[in-house]
Amino acid sequence: MDRTERLLNLVALFLDATAPVSLDDVRDAFPDEYGGTEDASQRKFERDKAELYELGIPLVWAQATDEQDAGYTLDRNEYYLPEPGLTPEELAVLYAAGSAALASGAFPGQQDLAHALRKVGFFADGPLPAAHVRLELSGSGGDVKELPARLETLWAAINTKKYVDLDYFSPHSRTVTSRRVDPYGLALRRGVWNLVGWCHLRKELRTFHVSRIRSVRMNTAKPRVADFTVPADFKVDDHVASWPWEHRLHAPVEVVVSLTGELVPLGRQLFGVEPTHEGEQARVTVAATNLDGLLTYVLSLGAGARVQSPADARARVVELAQRVLAAHTPAGGAP
Amino acid sequence: MSYTLAFERLRRLLFLVPFVSKHPGLTVDEVAKAVGCSKQDLLEELDLLTLVGRPPFQPDDYIDIYVEDDRVYLDLDQRLSAPPRLTAAEGVALAAAAALLKPSSGGALSSALAKLEKVLPPQAMARYREMARALDVSADGPDSLATISQAILEHRELELEYVSVGKGDREQRRVRPLELFSHRGQWYLQAFCLTRNGERLFRVDRIGAVTLTDTTFPEPEGSTRQVPGSSSEKPVKVRFAPELASWQQERFGDAASLQADGSLVVTVPGDSERWLTRWVLSFGGNATVLEPEWAIRAVAEAALASLQSA
Repeated sequence: MDRTERLLNLVALFLDATAPVSLDDVRDAFPDEYGGTEDASQRKFERDKAELYELGIPLVWAQATDEQDAGYTLDRNEYYLPEPGLTPEELAVLYAAGSAALASGAFPGQQDLAHALRKVGFFADGPLPAAHVRLELSGSGGDVKELPARLETLWAAINTKKYVDLDYFSPHSRTVTSRRVDPYGLALRRGVWNLVGWCHLRKELRTFHVSRIRSVRMNTAKPRVADFTVPADFKVDDHVASWPWEHRLHAPVEVVVSLTGELVPLGRQLFGVEPTHEGEQARVTVAATNLDGLLTYVLSLGAGARVQSPADARARVVELAQRVLAAHTPAGGAP
Repeated sequence: MSYTLAFERLRRLLFLVPFVSKHPGLTVDEVAKAVGCSKQDLLEELDLLTLVGRPPFQPDDYIDIYVEDDRVYLDLDQRLSAPPRLTAAEGVALAAAAALLKPSSGGALSSALAKLEKVLPPQAMARYREMARALDVSADGPDSLATISQAILEHRELELEYVSVGKGDREQRRVRPLELFSHRGQWYLQAFCLTRNGERLFRVDRIGAVTLTDTTFPEPEGSTRQVPGSSSEKPVKVRFAPELASWQQERFGDAASLQADGSLVVTVPGDSERWLTRWVLSFGGNATVLEPEWAIRAVAEAALASLQSA
């Protein structure tokens, strides 16, 4: 009997049981499967029980009472997926999001997502609507083909708290370094996957672009024992830049940007913070840890966006614009 | 997550039995598609299932599932009448996918998620919360995604305030939304614009206020899929300074050509002059347009305009 068949038989046995099932009962039901010494069959049963638990099937030990002997039970009400009562609209939008992520080619937990969608659709009466939402995450450059597999490895390592050994390409130094990382979490920003983790090489929390990882190996020793713990106050978002000025290159500088004309209603969308309004203008204040990142971004918004303060930031914008102008002016001539 | 083959197989079988029980008489192909495996794999799974049962293993104690005339039937499910609940990992994967579309309170997506959390097994909740903390996609898209996706799925017209940055116009548009997609980290809405009477591509981060109307429209017949910049008739050549070369090479991949002096030359679409000039400005002098002449001039003028306003 193969393992899958044995586990299915166990599920059938427990779903049908009206009283707690002892290990002796299990051995009697499957003498060929749980033979050998009592110790050996106990360990085998424990492994099977753990695998069923992973599948969402908890076998729970019930103490002996006056009415019945001790043994394992499976609560049928906790086993069966109840009808979640989704409206057709809710089901459609959930399905659209899930299908888009699944088809994106690079979303961690692909198999889990596929199963979840099947289960969610189980109670649907008619066919599910076509999604009309598309997400391209596989990107370009780097080892595109390897991205999905690397995401799965990282996601597995994060969830089992096992360290990973990475070969990581730095576009800054154009070199590949090998390092050990305790992976804490993944974040998607602007279509790019980031890994946040404790870097053993640098001895600090670091953020890595998953597309720059050239190889990843998860520690396979003692798979059920965690290699590290994640600090209780850890938040992935605190370590990932959503905007170009959030890369941590220097101490934060508070910069005020004013918006005029058609940019006025877009303050929140363009800078991620609530703007204040003064007459025809909107103002946003951001803390930049990569000042040039903010200033080139402001420049790219055109004449409707201006840096108000501090003074050296204003001077730097002028300098950057002059560099662009110089690069696009023929020698000795006006544009 | 990478699971063992036995695990994946078991998970599939625990879905397959209740699925056939609920939908008897579907073709082998339909069932294979619904459970996510090949026809050959499905037939092997059905063979295995005939061996599954419970003590005392009398004929009626086995799962009775069979194929007749290319259709799958089930007579005895041995109480496998519904799939198991979502595992913590399945719940998190679904919640993360939903987070991509920015569930807003009161919207269909967030009420769907709330209902799903209720059917997670109680013993999986702690693990679900812990895993959810490690996967963060919520900050990736604009807030209006939830409303727009709802409109697409329910075929409802949208009123939107659209600002094309640089052009200097802020307009009210009425559109029939067709498709939402994310390309290179940017969200776009493909829609039939009733104001302009034609299909248009809108950048979602340029959409201001958006209102869902009660006017519905018929299911559109296969709209044309557009990818921004996929068909450019006005190619523009841009050179990146050596210090930016490897970052940009990562982005452009094989389309970029590395020069002997360490700089990198790429070709980008110049169909939108505004986009081009803004994009070049965003590199603060480390990107230079090489040709054609009109593009060089346009960037110089944009830089001058910024200098005058600064």
